[in-house]
Amino acid sequence: MVTAVKGVKELIDEVVKPGLCTLCGACVGDCPYLVFYNGKIKLLDLCTRAEGHCYEYCPRTYTNMDAISQNIFNKTYDASELGHYIDIFISRASDVKTRNKAQYGGTVSALLSLALSEGLIDKALLAKSGKDRRPTGIEALNGEDVLSGSGSNYMAYPALQRLNRLQRDSRENIGIVLTPCQCIALSKMLAYPATQRFDTSNVKLAIGLFCTWALSYDRFFEFLNEKVNVAKIKKFDIPPPPANRFDIYTRADRISFPLDTVREYRMSTCSYCLDMTAEFADISVGAAEGIEGWNTVIIRTQRGSEIINLARHKGKLDVDSIPQQNLDHLKESAMLKKTRATNEIIKRTSAKNDLMYLGISENTRGKLLAERR
Amino acid sequence: MPYVDIDAPGSNQLFIGNEAIARGILEAGVGFASAYPGTPSSEILGSLAEIAQRRNLYVEWSVNEKVAIEAATAASFAGIRSLAAMKMNGLNVVIDFLSTIVLSGIGKKGLVLMVGDDPSAHSSSNESDSRPVAKWLDIPLVEPGDFQEAKDMLPYLYQISEEFGTLCILRSVTRIAHARGNVRLGKIPDIEHKARFDQFYDPAAPMPTPIMCLPSAFRHMFQHMRLERIKERFETSPLNKYVGPEKPELLIITAGSGWLYSQDAVNALKAEERIGILKLGTLWPLPEKLVRNYLNSTDKVIFIEEIDPFIENAVMEFAASFSPENRHNIFYGKHTRHLNAFGELTPDAVIKAITSVLDIKYVPRDAEYIKKIESVPANYVVDRLLTFCPGCPHRASFWAIKNTLAMDGRNGFVTGDIGCYTMALGPAGFFQTRTHQCMGAGAGLANGFGQLHRFGFDQPVISVVGDSTFYHSIIPALINGVHNHADFILVILDNGATAMTGFQPHPGTELTAMGEPAAPISMETICRAIGARVEVCDPFDLKSTTEILLDFLQQKRGVRVAIMRRSCELVRQKKEKKPYKMKIDPEKCLGEDCGCNRLCTRIFRCPGLVWDTIASKTRIDEVICNECGVCADICPERAITKEAVA
Repeated sequence: MVTAVKGVKELIDEVVKPGLCTLCGACVGDCPYLVFYNGKIKLLDLCTRAEGHCYEYCPRTYTNMDAISQNIFNKTYDASELGHYIDIFISRASDVKTRNKAQYGGTVSALLSLALSEGLIDKALLAKSGKDRRPTGIEALNGEDVLSGSGSNYMAYPALQRLNRLQRDSRENIGIVLTPCQCIALSKMLAYPATQRFDTSNVKLAIGLFCTWALSYDRFFEFLNEKVNVAKIKKFDIPPPPANRFDIYTRADRISFPLDTVREYRMSTCSYCLDMTAEFADISVGAAEGIEGWNTVIIRTQRGSEIINLARHKGKLDVDSIPQQNLDHLKESAMLKKTRATNEIIKRTSAKNDLMYLGISENTRGKLLAERR
Repeated sequence: MPYVDIDAPGSNQLFIGNEAIARGILEAGVGFASAYPGTPSSEILGSLAEIAQRRNLYVEWSVNEKVAIEAATAASFAGIRSLAAMKMNGLNVVIDFLSTIVLSGIGKKGLVLMVGDDPSAHSSSNESDSRPVAKWLDIPLVEPGDFQEAKDMLPYLYQISEEFGTLCILRSVTRIAHARGNVRLGKIPDIEHKARFDQFYDPAAPMPTPIMCLPSAFRHMFQHMRLERIKERFETSPLNKYVGPEKPELLIITAGSGWLYSQDAVNALKAEERIGILKLGTLWPLPEKLVRNYLNSTDKVIFIEEIDPFIENAVMEFAASFSPENRHNIFYGKHTRHLNAFGELTPDAVIKAITSVLDIKYVPRDAEYIKKIESVPANYVVDRLLTFCPGCPHRASFWAIKNTLAMDGRNGFVTGDIGCYTMALGPAGFFQTRTHQCMGAGAGLANGFGQLHRFGFDQPVISVVGDSTFYHSIIPALINGVHNHADFILVILDNGATAMTGFQPHPGTELTAMGEPAAPISMETICRAIGARVEVCDPFDLKSTTEILLDFLQQKRGVRVAIMRRSCELVRQKKEKKPYKMKIDPEKCLGEDCGCNRLCTRIFRCPGLVWDTIASKTRIDEVICNECGVCADICPERAITKEAVA
């Protein structure tokens, strides 16, 4: 395991070329040498700096999990199924219109709209499907903007690029929606703040999305183009187990593929990810299994808790307790992702004491290894 | 400087060699001169263009050298003395025509091809010697050894051309063409040119025939007979001269710039009593009797000439026919490695060659002195790599090309061509150009690369050409590509001038060489008519230029043409004020920090941007910055700002 911070050449050699890049976007947006283009990170010119934030903040370079965990939760990383949390429950947007536009319960849209209208944040950064159905980042300034970005793409896109593009002297408060790997990158930015960039402490709300894997942009579109008229696609969906389907909705139709077929097009880097529930977000949100139209919500931080309370108080969110069976299954799935990823990492490094990017204590490593079946 | 037609016969003028040649053209009563620009020949037509209107002279910048010589030949056919000028690369372009015009013969009036060679290839993609073409194709060739001769040889050459009915070549080299010296002027004749094509004029034929090269073998024989007669004439030509003792220890046989270097060397060695110099002006056919005469005067002979051992080989070949008792000469030169068959001559090289043959001791200036001399320029000349001017649109064009090829990620590359943009082989164009040959070759190569997909080739190919190059030799390659379904991108850097050679007009510009208005011939219309997909953009608009290229790169098949149009900065600034006032906010400049690492002075490298090593910030060099504004768009921190000048 390499623990030193290096430069862009090493980022390309150690992360991008070997297919470990998650497309989180931490390295692009404020660097003139690296760009995101056509589903990949591209190097335009060689930066000769021995150390760069590109390497430092990458979620696939050495990550001291205890340090980023301490910084947010005041606790070390313990590899528990769902990470540190304050509360877990199910919820949905009270507003029917929001719910109808949303992928599941509309909780993320409701929370972002509220944060914007209450002035907790000035801007929400989220993804939206572009005309070509590829995800693209938008800056939402109000509830209407937020709703235009609702719905899931299942495709990796560099969410942090938007954040990096903000002026470094900007005092805007930001809300942002991130996948688990992106949350880790943001946590690295928070733990090791840079002076010459946008001040990440201005991110006042990080909403994490549950994620098992993301699809690789270019290869998945090759597949899609053969099967459907991409321009006509309205929505993608992976209904909760046991459906085991990938659904594509057009105005008139629903086309389903076996999930295993689509899984072929996931990003190879996802195999090495231990985090299903976005453990470093303020609030993590996913589908509630078997309860149509509801989300599972995990509150992780004090400020996450505050905005949920505000949402309930203002009647923006319907909340219910999570059935024990759901919680058990969620934990089981989350731990399964951790153990599978640990196995894949060891397969790659051929050494049980080298967990690639994952900087964890001896104890935690022992725990993870013990969980493997 | 006076115009070359200054009406002062008998006066001395300080002319560069090319001006002297232009004056000679006027004194020879030439009525038609055409050229394609190329160093070191461009100033000939350039200085004639300035005075053409008032001297009843037609001049044109032709689309290429082949058309230039063909057009000039027509004037000769119709009874007007004519000339075409070009550099040695151009001579290669016209070879096919030359091989036939020597057979068909010229018209009633003389025809001269002036070719400028560039020893050391200071501004050329090759270093070829034009003289062997004369031997190869049976064309008389003369070469001036100083500025006076550069002028005087022209009237002489037209006499030869007309008397023997053949095209003649005047060869010059950079140090004659571009150096300056005294020229005593003659009179410019007042000629009423009257053009008429006598369709059956052909002195070579026993009966009236069209001007043609058939029957070729017969006419080939006839040209050899002509050359024999011309050789006779050259034996007594005043262009050949000898200085030195009657029986020299060493005979130098030289021509062209070698004449000047030889005189310098003999003088420096104080060897005037020991060394004789035979300076030849008529190089082909070689005046053998004259040469033999001097060969008999000594044993040791050394040849001093620029580039190939042309005289050296001709003399040795001819000496091989001497009877054994007459073969007493020992020949020194390039074949004995006393001199190189590449690179320019220098007085030092000539001195070194002579001293090693004659065993003369020569003590040059001491090493200290040389060191001192070499250190002087460093105080006055900025230490800077060859690069585009500040504000040059090519830098922006190549910035977009570099970025899009990197984004595309398939190891795409640029096939280069001839123009200022040749510098894109180096840091000026971010090392994007990967092939560099002759005019038009980049597009031809792209045609070939563009067919290799069937063999697994998947790299994008961008042929980058200039506007003048486009008209000169790209159009056939473009037609070939469209017809044969080649896959490549053609980028035309349209800066509205033949910039590298001095802003000569071309078919895309609004004036002819005569200063008459011309309707620019639309390159986009040509490209569209051929069937290529065409987009036009302003390279200073980096965003849309990049978008067009990315879009082109995603289209996998066919010929795509991007015309990047923006006036050459040197042309623009003659007409307009600077558009912006550039400023750098040192607070915002990240310098070497993460997020920039001197992008503007390390990668973009416009000479208008200077890295201040003390402050660790970028500064604008206000003296040379042309305030184009492009760097404001590449600065990641927007620390560089452009403010429009009212």
